[in-house]
Amino acid sequence: MRARLVLQEDVLKIVDLLRRDHEVVAPFYGRGRDTFFDTVTDENLDRVQIHIPNPYYPPKRYVLPHIEQLFRIRKADGSYEIQSTYDQTKRAIFGIRSCDLAGIYHLDRFYLGREFRDPYYARRRANLFLVNVVCTDTQVDINDECYCLCTDTGPAAKAHFDLQLMDLGKGEFLAVAGSPAGEALFSAPFFRKATEEHVERRRRILSEVRHRFKTTTGWFSATVRYISQEKVLEKTWEAIGSRCLECGGCTYVCPACTCFTVTDRPTGPNEFERVRLWDACALYGFTRMAGGHNPRKAVHDRRNRRFFRKLAHYFIQRELSMACVGCGRCAEVCHGDVGMPSTIEMIRRATTEYLAHESAAH
Amino acid sequence: MNPQPTDNIYLPKLARLERVVDEIDEVRTFYWQFLDPADQQAFKNFKPGQFAQVSIFGAGEFPASLPPSPTESEVFFTVRRVGRATEALHKLKPGDIFGVRGPYGNGFPMEAYAGRNLIFVAGGIGLIPLRSCIVYALAHREKFGKIQIFYGAKTPRELMYRPLLHEWEKAGGFECHLTVDRSENGWQGHTGVVGSLFRKPGIEVPTTNTTAFVCGPPVMFRFVIKDLLDMGLKDTDIVSTLERYMKCGVGKCGHCCIGVAYVCMDGPVFTYQQIKKLGEDI
Repeated sequence: MRARLVLQEDVLKIVDLLRRDHEVVAPFYGRGRDTFFDTVTDENLDRVQIHIPNPYYPPKRYVLPHIEQLFRIRKADGSYEIQSTYDQTKRAIFGIRSCDLAGIYHLDRFYLGREFRDPYYARRRANLFLVNVVCTDTQVDINDECYCLCTDTGPAAKAHFDLQLMDLGKGEFLAVAGSPAGEALFSAPFFRKATEEHVERRRRILSEVRHRFKTTTGWFSATVRYISQEKVLEKTWEAIGSRCLECGGCTYVCPACTCFTVTDRPTGPNEFERVRLWDACALYGFTRMAGGHNPRKAVHDRRNRRFFRKLAHYFIQRELSMACVGCGRCAEVCHGDVGMPSTIEMIRRATTEYLAHESAAH
Repeated sequence: MNPQPTDNIYLPKLARLERVVDEIDEVRTFYWQFLDPADQQAFKNFKPGQFAQVSIFGAGEFPASLPPSPTESEVFFTVRRVGRATEALHKLKPGDIFGVRGPYGNGFPMEAYAGRNLIFVAGGIGLIPLRSCIVYALAHREKFGKIQIFYGAKTPRELMYRPLLHEWEKAGGFECHLTVDRSENGWQGHTGVVGSLFRKPGIEVPTTNTTAFVCGPPVMFRFVIKDLLDMGLKDTDIVSTLERYMKCGVGKCGHCCIGVAYVCMDGPVFTYQQIKKLGEDI
């Protein structure tokens, strides 16, 4: 294992090391429960958190900003100059959780893995360095809605990071390199030799932490099967839909949602910008066409669209990645309690009952 | 990794509006050309049934069917004024610059229909997406069996591409039947919904070895499909193109995703069998 030991007092030196040639973003406390990712500066460096409740606003925005300029368009001499505006900042996310890391992997599969590559995403992603922190503090890191055990995305990511840090207790962290760029950091003197005992301690802590998750019974496989085989009754979808308040919050906090809308707006005389903005399939206007025709009117159609898109086997196979990473944010923000875990449960329970009833009747 | 600027899938290519032809109320045809001949060359191999993304800078971008056939020399869009961006297109004058990217979508697999009878059934502006494959089929007349065109509109004033319809009506080697829901201005032709043409005396619609192309408003679509199925056509032999709100045309923005399909990538051409499975209104 490409692993090293880092002492607690040296952990933030990694941030400093990365700041030499990266904009580094890291999690901070705001007021109350509020936590957020922000750019690390000389002023706030000492407030960077290792253990912290995962911010609602996912770090997805560093590869897919919630508003992103695509083009600057200038009208001149009766024609137009169009300039593609790319963000090629070298950036590092320090403290990204395993679920959000899986989210970025899903976005990679979606934006880069198909016939058309998204050039904006590609550039941001190529310049991104990811420092994963494993959730080990059961009081702070892990909350009641976390269900990465069910999506097999955590608490310790197995891949897709450049560097992974895990708190071993006793003021010691184990650093694991996941890429050549991550391994290159190990030349800094504060990365010390790790022993077999440290690796063993990592294993022990992980198996212990796994028992601290409250949500461990999200039966994705059963639900994926029911949805893909079209066994879910319309009334089950309706029951889920009737609890949706159409706020779009679930898509807003989701680290694996990909939909966007595009709009032109003026930036000056004879100048426009074309921007893309996150969009949400829960909203009525999402499928409304010019002229007003909307093929997807009912709220449960829209609600179900989101779960179908995330859970249909067809899409999971197409992207080789499921569009749910078990972060639990949708469950936390949903006022109608139709986040992913309860939806999975509602579909599984209703469909299992229905199928049992069906087979008994035959 | 240092991708070149040309790799931008969202970048519209500049085009110049050449001339505008009024079709019917609120619907016009816009003939255009790319400023760069290389773009024009790259574009001209589109397939019937594909579409393009049209940019009116400052107003936005929208998907538009490609009504010309690749066998024709000019390219054009036929667009109804319905929203902000289409309104802006309608305000353009010859010589004005706008943006186009594409072609996108699967298109009709015309080669796969070789040797088959083709029946085209269109209602209202549903003729816009079908125009391309009709012209294409007529240009390759020898490759297909019987060809019939059935086209209906609410009133005679609302028939699209009238000069072309007159040409089709007069030409030999295929049939073109027109109808209107309500006759006016001394309309001499058939009156009734488009499906009523199938039962008009003297018209024989082939029902085996036949592919039916159906495009039109949802109500017309439902009734025509029922007629065709009743006549014995299989759901795999009925094809249509779906219309959806789209923001990218390249499978990213998510707006046109229905069932397991992205209309922009997996469509817009689907068989009726596929459309039923997608489980959403036409």
